[in-house]
Amino acid sequence: MTLTGAVGAIFMFPLRGIIRACVALGIHPNVLTLIGVCINLAAAWALARGRFVLAGVIMVAANLFDFIDGKVAHASGTASEFGGFWDSVMDRFSDLALFLGLIYLYASLQRADYVMVAAVAMIFTVLTSYTRARAESLIDTCKVGFMERPERIVLFMIGAFTNRMAAVLWVILVLSVLTVAGRIYHTWRELSGDRSVPA
Amino acid sequence: MSRVPIERRLPLPLLAVWRIFYWNYERTTIPYDLMVMAILAFVWLTPPDWLGDPTARGLGLIGWLTSRLP
Repeated sequence: MTLTGAVGAIFMFPLRGIIRACVALGIHPNVLTLIGVCINLAAAWALARGRFVLAGVIMVAANLFDFIDGKVAHASGTASEFGGFWDSVMDRFSDLALFLGLIYLYASLQRADYVMVAAVAMIFTVLTSYTRARAESLIDTCKVGFMERPERIVLFMIGAFTNRMAAVLWVILVLSVLTVAGRIYHTWRELSGDRSVPA
Repeated sequence: MSRVPIERRLPLPLLAVWRIFYWNYERTTIPYDLMVMAILAFVWLTPPDWLGDPTARGLGLIGWLTSRLP
C-alpha cells in the first residue's frame, strides 16, 4: 500500500460510521452539500480574519460534509444527475469563498503581491474545473493534471494548520497552471487524432 | 505516417518534467506519493522569509536546523 493510500484508509475508517448514520437518519445528500458550503463560508471568514488554525478546523468539518455527500447518495440510492450538478456548483462556490477570504486578508495587510498570487490562483482553480467540464463535452475523458479539488483542499488545511499559506498558494498556483495547460494540450491532442498516450 | 509519441523522444530528465506537466497518474500510486512528498517538502522547508509570507516570519525548519549546527 502506498503512503497516501494508508492515510486515506485511516481517515476513511471513522467516516464509514458517519455515512451509515446519515443514511439511517434519511438525510438527503443535497442537504449535506449545502451544509458543507455554509460551513466553508465560516472557514473563509476565519481566513479573512487571519485565524488560520480556526479556519483549518472549520475546513475539516466543512469538507467532511463535502466528502460524505456522494457516498451517502450512493449508499441511500438517492444519487441523481442533479445531485452531481449541485455538488459541482457548490464546490466551485466553496473554493472561491476560501480564496476570497485570503484575498481580503492580504488586502487588509496591504500586501498587493499576495492579493495577486491568490487572485491568479483563484482564476486557475476555476479554469481547472472548466477545462475538464468543457473538454468532456468534446472527448471521452480529460483527467489530466495533478491539482484537483481534493489536493487543493488538503493543501489549504495544511497551510492553515501550519501557518504556511504563502507556500501553499504558490504550489496551488503553479500546479493549477500546469493542470489547465495539460488539459488544453490533452484536448487538442485528442481532437487532432494524436492519441499516443491514454489519460 | 504515424508520429513518434513525445514521451519516447524525450531524455529521462525532460521526461520527468513532461510527466509532471502531463500528469495522468491515479491517486495512491508511487508517483502520486512522490509528488505529495515533494510538495510537503516545499511547503514546510521553504523559509517563509524567502517567500515574503505576509503571515509567517523567520527561516522555518531550515533556519531551526541550521541554528543547531556547530
